[in-house]
Amino acid sequence: MYADLPILTFPPCSLMRFLITTMRRRLYRYSTMRLSHVSFRYRRRDPLVIEDADAELAPGDVIELTGVNGAGKSTLLRLLAGLARPTAGTITGRPSVVGFAPDRFPTAQPFTVTHYLRHMSRVRGGTRWEPWAERLDMGHLLGLPLGELSKGSAHKVGLVQALMAEPGLLVLDEPFAGLDADTREALPAIATEVAARGGIVIAGDHQGGLRSLPGVRHWTLISGHLKEHTPDTHAAHDHAATAGGPPAVAVRRSLEDVAGGPSECRHATVAVTLPAVDVQRFLTRMRGEGYRAREIEETS
Amino acid sequence: MIPLAGFRMAAYVRSHRVYQALLLALALLAILYGSRAPKGEEASVLTDGAVLIVPVLAWAARSLLDTEPDRQREMSAIQAGGRGREVAAGLVAAFTACAGLAAIALGWALLLGVSATPPPGVLLAVIALYVLTALAGTVLGALTSRAIVRSPAASIMAMLLGFLATLLVSTSPLYWLTVPLIPWMRAASAGDLLGRFPGLAALSLLWCLIGLAGYVLRRLRTS
Repeated sequence: MYADLPILTFPPCSLMRFLITTMRRRLYRYSTMRLSHVSFRYRRRDPLVIEDADAELAPGDVIELTGVNGAGKSTLLRLLAGLARPTAGTITGRPSVVGFAPDRFPTAQPFTVTHYLRHMSRVRGGTRWEPWAERLDMGHLLGLPLGELSKGSAHKVGLVQALMAEPGLLVLDEPFAGLDADTREALPAIATEVAARGGIVIAGDHQGGLRSLPGVRHWTLISGHLKEHTPDTHAAHDHAATAGGPPAVAVRRSLEDVAGGPSECRHATVAVTLPAVDVQRFLTRMRGEGYRAREIEETS
Repeated sequence: MIPLAGFRMAAYVRSHRVYQALLLALALLAILYGSRAPKGEEASVLTDGAVLIVPVLAWAARSLLDTEPDRQREMSAIQAGGRGREVAAGLVAAFTACAGLAAIALGWALLLGVSATPPPGVLLAVIALYVLTALAGTVLGALTSRAIVRSPAASIMAMLLGFLATLLVSTSPLYWLTVPLIPWMRAASAGDLLGRFPGLAALSLLWCLIGLAGYVLRRLRTS
């Protein structure tokens, strides 16, 4: 039994501290990943798809990668995942366990969802995939052949195989494409969880599904050049995205935040999932620290 | 690596692609061993069968490696912990399939193709030859699989022409430049299979290993 979600209202700076404290708790498992002067071209005389990219990905980072079609987002994701080698430059510090969910899951395989995920679990050393399938509401899909899945359902299978082994680096290519509303809501929370245990999450995403997560880094590929938006620029993006973005995410800024005002006075609302027995103690503790906290609902 | 090899074997069987090579092998064996060879020709008949089954084994290896969609191959590499393990798993699966077909071919030949059981020494040499045949088929199939040759038409042509080129080169004095298929047949026909076995086996193994190294390097380089 889990209680879904006491509501807490924090000033944004406190919100960030709360999340960062939570997220950094187990960061010792992973090291920083670095891209140094990374360039990539597919063939010898082809133009560079990625040119002189420098970046650091620290444990706990959630990164949203955007760019126009053909900008090289998928190529950069493949480089990060270790599926392609840089033509020049180096990528170091890649976590040993990588999860990769492609933009199009290959359904032309002679397995049912269950058979496929069982095989992938064995390849991963026997990790459990069932909780992820349950979380992404895939119960009705498990007996279906992969070839009969819709795009969104197939995408869920790709997500489960990427998530099942607790990846230190989670690479998601267009993770929100074709997903139903519930899974779209669940995905930012999942990304936050991966980051909270010290993983790095990077998503090539046109739809801005992760934009409302606090602390998300925003990378853009423009003509093969990788640029990172500054926090201020990102905040502006963030607010715009919140206004027209997905209907709900695991961590949302409240209306007070969107409305603006001095940063010390603005508030943000976060959702926390915890065992039902801990709810009252948690709420009491938060109230004791001066935050407005209330329970929304209890789920089984 | 082994679970991934199992995954690829399972895909090969469940996709029914296995039946293509199996039916082809059974048809070939039915023709080859339509009547039993006279007594005393056991080594020759068994060796001929081993050589002629090579393109079928190459077909099986290529077909198995091509069963997995390219995108799944990438995901498998990540799941298994690296491109090297994915490549190795594919080769293990392909060799297993080839070894199974080679075992069927040898079993059929021993049961229905010869009039007497060959002497133990010859039998051991023939078993080793079938293992080398499975390896040669794996290598030829791997080198013409989609990961190396993108076009299906070019791939099948490369596989057949590769086998024919091997046959042609091995008939010449330059037979040492390839897997010596014809010298195997000649040695068995001349009753000198055991005498020439070490040299021919070493040469066959060497070229198979060179082919395997080429495949692995190409796969790792293009990743």
